[in-house]
Amino acid sequence: MAKSSFSLREWLETTPIIVPVIAVILAFAFGALFILATGHNPIQAYILFIRGAFGNTFNLMETITKSIPLTIAGLAFLFAYRCGVFNIGTEGQLLIGAIAASLVGFLIKLPPVIHQIVLILTGAVFGALYAGIAGWLKAYRGVNEILSTLMLNYPAIYLTHFLVVKVFKAPGVVPATPLINKSAELPVIIPDTRLHAGIFIVIGLIFLVDFILRKTVLGYEIRAVGFNPTAAAYSGISIRKNVIIAIMISGALAGIAGSVEVMGLHHRFFDQFSPGYGFDGISVSLVALLNPFATFFSALFFGAMRTGSTEMQIFQEIPRQLMTLYQGIILFFIAGQLIFITFIRKIIRKRKE
Amino acid sequence: MQNIFSEALLATTINLSTPLIIAVFAGLISERSGVINLALEGMMLAGACAAALGSYFTGNPYIGLMASIAIGMLMALAHAYATITWRGDQIISGLALIVASVGGTGFILQLIFKHGGNTPDVTPLPRIIIPFLQNIPVLGVLINKQTILVYFAYLLPVLMYLFLYKTPLGMRIRACGEDPRTADTLGINVYLTRYIAVLISGALAGLSGAYLSIVQLSKFQENMSAGRGWIAIAALILGKWRPWSVFLAALFFGFTDAIQLTMQVVFPDSKLPREIFLSLPYILTILVLAGFVGKAIGPAAGGKPYEKEQL
Repeated sequence: MAKSSFSLREWLETTPIIVPVIAVILAFAFGALFILATGHNPIQAYILFIRGAFGNTFNLMETITKSIPLTIAGLAFLFAYRCGVFNIGTEGQLLIGAIAASLVGFLIKLPPVIHQIVLILTGAVFGALYAGIAGWLKAYRGVNEILSTLMLNYPAIYLTHFLVVKVFKAPGVVPATPLINKSAELPVIIPDTRLHAGIFIVIGLIFLVDFILRKTVLGYEIRAVGFNPTAAAYSGISIRKNVIIAIMISGALAGIAGSVEVMGLHHRFFDQFSPGYGFDGISVSLVALLNPFATFFSALFFGAMRTGSTEMQIFQEIPRQLMTLYQGIILFFIAGQLIFITFIRKIIRKRKE
Repeated sequence: MQNIFSEALLATTINLSTPLIIAVFAGLISERSGVINLALEGMMLAGACAAALGSYFTGNPYIGLMASIAIGMLMALAHAYATITWRGDQIISGLALIVASVGGTGFILQLIFKHGGNTPDVTPLPRIIIPFLQNIPVLGVLINKQTILVYFAYLLPVLMYLFLYKTPLGMRIRACGEDPRTADTLGINVYLTRYIAVLISGALAGLSGAYLSIVQLSKFQENMSAGRGWIAIAALILGKWRPWSVFLAALFFGFTDAIQLTMQVVFPDSKLPREIFLSLPYILTILVLAGFVGKAIGPAAGGKPYEKEQL
């Protein structure tokens, strides 16, 4: 496979914000046809959608809660992609980080703040090591990282399944680990909702990722390799080293997404832990045009898609999978953005004439 | 160990490699024209769903087959439109189509049957019985009582070789994948040629999905492609984009998958966890790519959109 990712990555960074906005509008417009097929009124369905996502305090907080792992997973994909590396194994890295954190959470006793820090670091280290496999394979064996990261998702799913069902299963019907100790939990910050302190970690990580990428030598080198690997190599920047570091930091972020989800929300690891947050991270960061700050708002939107679609399913029996279809349509229009950009340019030109 | 290597293993190998073989040629023809088709996985999934639904509603599995080709080509058309006409990013478009197919098939399943998971049983593709082969030991297992898709899969390397290397259209497709600018100067319509290649790719990918739902099983299950589209892409790289080599690579991945399945029977879950065997195909794919490929160089113009110079 050729190195086609670079051109798009450059482009995304200079793409006007209007592109993802139009992609989303187009997805909802096309999606209306599918809602019509279910025999419902799309406008009513979308009103339900908005009510489900933002309609009351609980739903709004639920949307924000879902945006926590989505933002971190988005940052994970973004970080590697800035180096020209496609990490589509964030789902597997998230799972590995989550189960490692949950094990440290219930097996080890530590004082509160230290325990929390240890859990986050555990998630980061395990996520980084797991992603590092793909990094090493790319740097030293020339294995395409799209394939290797994708393939590594499956062993992660089976391994965590095995551990939670056959090794660390707590007594009870549900295949889940025991609850982590209270000292490792992240507290709920708004009573009667599920919004937890993980949101502060999200804010910290956004600034950290932005800082690393823009203000440090490491970030400069990573972006240089992503921008033009040949030129970077000529100026003495090691491609191998930066590819491995970028994908490991990406994996660390994905692992943190998993551990924060354990600490703040579920307090344990269970079978089929992630409803695709790792995969969604790809869409989240592309819709955010690879900007760390925009990633949060993009994640809010994807969180809203999840909570809003639940409401649509409950009241109108519109299958929730519709949102995954929307996600595909949005990505499609971001890939083929010239489809409508050209059209818009024509309109603007006519107005001027 | 003698249980493992048997006629049953051969039969399983054929059963598991057939969709990979069809899919690897779907990837081959598209990439040789210069368009990376990462959406194989999604086209397989949609093809599997369409085939099952076609067979379910008409009772005729051949209509299901047609439906799988149609949905594959429709998705290919979208891919071609975004990446060829509008020079969009081939990788993101491929991922987008995969995501859309996961959502789309799940949505349709829920809509029609009011529950997720899988469709009811549908009529599978009939197996063709060749009377004089019935009593021949190995060949009887290999060739007899197979579906039309298996015969097609084993003809594909020949067909594809002849098409790509001996026909004008095939040579044009390869030219567009190596040097579209020169091809254009020589009067080849690069856009049209790539469209044709991508559409054939979609048709094949859809068909390979049909094998999963109306031959391997008699129903569609959510996410039943389970990474096979990606393994086909790995086989494409392992076979270095050449018809005979990619055929062997796909056969190899089918064979290892068959061994894994057979081992699951030999070693019960109590002795060795099933999860080890289930992970094996993916781990092995990575190891094979790491160990044997060396430098994999695809078609020179692969992944790059072509922009015709404006006069």
